[in-house]
Amino acid sequence: MTATTPTVAAQRDAARPRASTLVIAVALARRYAMGLVRIPATLAPTILMPMFFVLAFGGSFHGLTNMPGFPTDNILNWMAPFAALQGCAFAGFGAALYVARDIETGFQDRLLAAPTPPGAVMLGPVLYAAARALLPLAIVVPISMLGGARLQGGPLGLLTLTIAAVGVAVLASLWGLGVVYRLKSQSAGALVQIVITVSMFLSIGQVPLALMRGWLHAVARVNPVTPVLELARQGFLGPVTMQDTLPGLLVLVAAGAGLGLFAWRGYRRLIP
Amino acid sequence: MTTAVAVRGRSQGDAVAQTMVLARRSLLSTWRQPQTWIPAIVFPLLLAAVNSSAMSRAIHLPGFPEVDSFLQFLLPASLVQGVMFGGLFGGAALALDVESGFFERLVASPVHRSTIVIGRVAGATVLGGIQALVFVLVFLAFGSPIAGGVAAVLGLVLIGMVLALAIGAFAAGLGLRTGSQEAVQGMFPLAFILLFVSSAFFPTSQMSGAYRAIAENNPITWMIDGARELVITGFSFADLGVALAVAGAMSALSLRFALRQLDRRLAASA
Amino acid sequence: MTAPIVAEGLVRRFGDFVAVDGIDLAVDEGEIFGFLGPNGAGKSTTVRMLTTLLRPSAGRALVAGFDVVTQADEVRRSIGVALQDAAIDPLMTGNELLHLQATLHGISGSAAQLRSGELLERVGLVAAAGNRVATYSGGMRRRLDLAMSLIHEPSVLFLDEPTTGLDPTSRISLWEEVRRLNADGTTVFLTTQYLEEADELAERVAIIDGGRIVRAGAPAALKAAVGAPTLRLHIDEAHMALAVQTVCGRFGEQRPSREGVLAIGLEGGPSQLSAVLNALNDEGAVVDHVELASPSLDDVFADATGRRLEGAADDAAVAAEASAEGSGGGRRSRRSRR
Repeated sequence: MTATTPTVAAQRDAARPRASTLVIAVALARRYAMGLVRIPATLAPTILMPMFFVLAFGGSFHGLTNMPGFPTDNILNWMAPFAALQGCAFAGFGAALYVARDIETGFQDRLLAAPTPPGAVMLGPVLYAAARALLPLAIVVPISMLGGARLQGGPLGLLTLTIAAVGVAVLASLWGLGVVYRLKSQSAGALVQIVITVSMFLSIGQVPLALMRGWLHAVARVNPVTPVLELARQGFLGPVTMQDTLPGLLVLVAAGAGLGLFAWRGYRRLIP
Repeated sequence: MTTAVAVRGRSQGDAVAQTMVLARRSLLSTWRQPQTWIPAIVFPLLLAAVNSSAMSRAIHLPGFPEVDSFLQFLLPASLVQGVMFGGLFGGAALALDVESGFFERLVASPVHRSTIVIGRVAGATVLGGIQALVFVLVFLAFGSPIAGGVAAVLGLVLIGMVLALAIGAFAAGLGLRTGSQEAVQGMFPLAFILLFVSSAFFPTSQMSGAYRAIAENNPITWMIDGARELVITGFSFADLGVALAVAGAMSALSLRFALRQLDRRLAASA
Repeated sequence: MTAPIVAEGLVRRFGDFVAVDGIDLAVDEGEIFGFLGPNGAGKSTTVRMLTTLLRPSAGRALVAGFDVVTQADEVRRSIGVALQDAAIDPLMTGNELLHLQATLHGISGSAAQLRSGELLERVGLVAAAGNRVATYSGGMRRRLDLAMSLIHEPSVLFLDEPTTGLDPTSRISLWEEVRRLNADGTTVFLTTQYLEEADELAERVAIIDGGRIVRAGAPAALKAAVGAPTLRLHIDEAHMALAVQTVCGRFGEQRPSREGVLAIGLEGGPSQLSAVLNALNDEGAVVDHVELASPSLDDVFADATGRRLEGAADDAAVAAEASAEGSGGGRRSRRSRR
């Protein structure tokens, strides 16, 4: 083996300062945001879907509030947080789809061949999802307030909803990234979305746990989405309490760690 | 790539034969692409499973129709939902034909013009009937009795077929007009909204305000309510008639739309 | 000695398929090194290994003095990469993409601005820089890709099939740009399936086929080693067998060629031309067309592998056309995949 040492030029290159993880992640997140905004066809459903959700679920299932033991008189208090979280989960899914497209077009190679600090490239889409989560919130909350929903939990209630919303977006993006990094194609999107949709629906989306019977009750009880939904909803149903907050926060942190690892391992596999 | 369509002549009998060949092609191609029909069956069934369990106690609400279970309440809705989605996804196939150029080949061949649409729509109709039957059987298996018995089942299958015709023709027309699969599939949210603002997922009697007003005047509501009576109460020609009338009217309008779009496209490429 | 690119016994397997089967090479500082071969020969796979996008199954590679596996990060700092598909985001503008690339390399703010401006001027994209890439032509995209790969002034530049799909004018201007870069001291590793490109640009060439280097050296030396010029005779099919009998062995060895063409290495050189034509004439073989060409890299390839490189490119084009039409191009496309 010919012994070689770094060339002079290479030494100069190595001495150059590196960009920070955050700077790169933000630059990438901005790029994804540009992608969303510059194609109206993707922006429209992003705004319309949570809107539709609130109105349709609120309108159709209005009668549920008459069930004895239903925690609120106004169906929007119940449905708005669910609608918001659906939109946020979709944001996470969208981030993963962008990455899938980058992998398919070869743009991801550009990112991989650059001397970025570990994790920066993966953090980009996650940051994007987290920021994008604010969009459904910004749509759902005002609309439901107009429809009579009230934040009894005050600003704290809004905070817990926001934490849950951003958390769900991040979790969905980590799940999506883990799948997309491994399958390396946009058709993986179906798998990502199905798991997200099913998890969100097998929970306390439509009715509270207390009013459920049968198999769904058993599943919803153990579904980690349930405490997160409770975390999100509590402000609309009453004051914010530790009892409703802590379990949801724990789930977000634990799932974040688990899915983060899942995504990270997938990212490492991008260079086979 | 699809096989060549071997048809000749322009007589009446040939038109029927051509329709059957094209219908068969449309059936086969849909069958071979499970991603088009699996969502149309699995998604509504999943939604039904979740909703029926979640809202099982809602059936005791004052004013709620006399049902055995929420599942029984949902049967006609799931059926309609499945047929609508299946019809849209299947109908996108004609857009694909336009996109891929197969449509041009059909036009260049000695095929009756209208059979291009009718063949595809005929295929969709058959699929709609099969779908309806599948839904009925699954719901029966999961404990949703059908008060109207065999007659009601036949009625539901018929409704499914006519609705599938309506949706299929609409999708075909849209496919011909836009030549884009995406545009046809983009109708999916619209169909979903139409279905939501109706008596599909919850009785209109339980709704309030403007939402209720819209839902009560949505023809889909009349169709679903008619079908629902067959399931909950028993067979009646009146109820079947209402449902079929709505589906039939939709079909007539859709077919006219589709054939008109066919003429437009033929005129444009002539 | 600090060689910018060194590979020893580089191997890459995909399951049972061996894409790269033991490659050794050393590129000198400031050199333009050409990697020439048909589609599927293993060029892109090799480049991906050298640019840290793929891990070798066996063997070792050092780029800018750093190991591509254990010191990947350092390698990435020193290399510029313009890969085959010019992976460019059509929704972004040229400016935005350059800026993003600068950020990835830790170049920020005014330094990035300055550098972008310089590069845009250099590749002639100043006017288009504010427009979305979707509006760019193929040539413009490649130029932007090149500019992006140079944002951090790398000492080693990897260009994977940089002119595939470009029109002749764009191709020539890209060649000029590569020469200019090289004049400034950048080492260039270039893969191509076009022998003209290798001939024009590369100081040294390695010819790769089936995952192995079959010939390596300066183009002139390689061509000289082949020896005799190639005589190509376009002969009617009916007379072909007769012509082969008459000419081969007597005037030189047969060389691979297209259908309908008899190619031999004319041992005696151009002076033998009339003798060949007379011999054919005497036998009654009708010759439609005659070409006499000094050895090309294609001849070098043919000498090494028994196949024509140009023919492979043609076959690939024909197969691509055939499959686009949906008719059976099976036999031909299988042949070109080697």
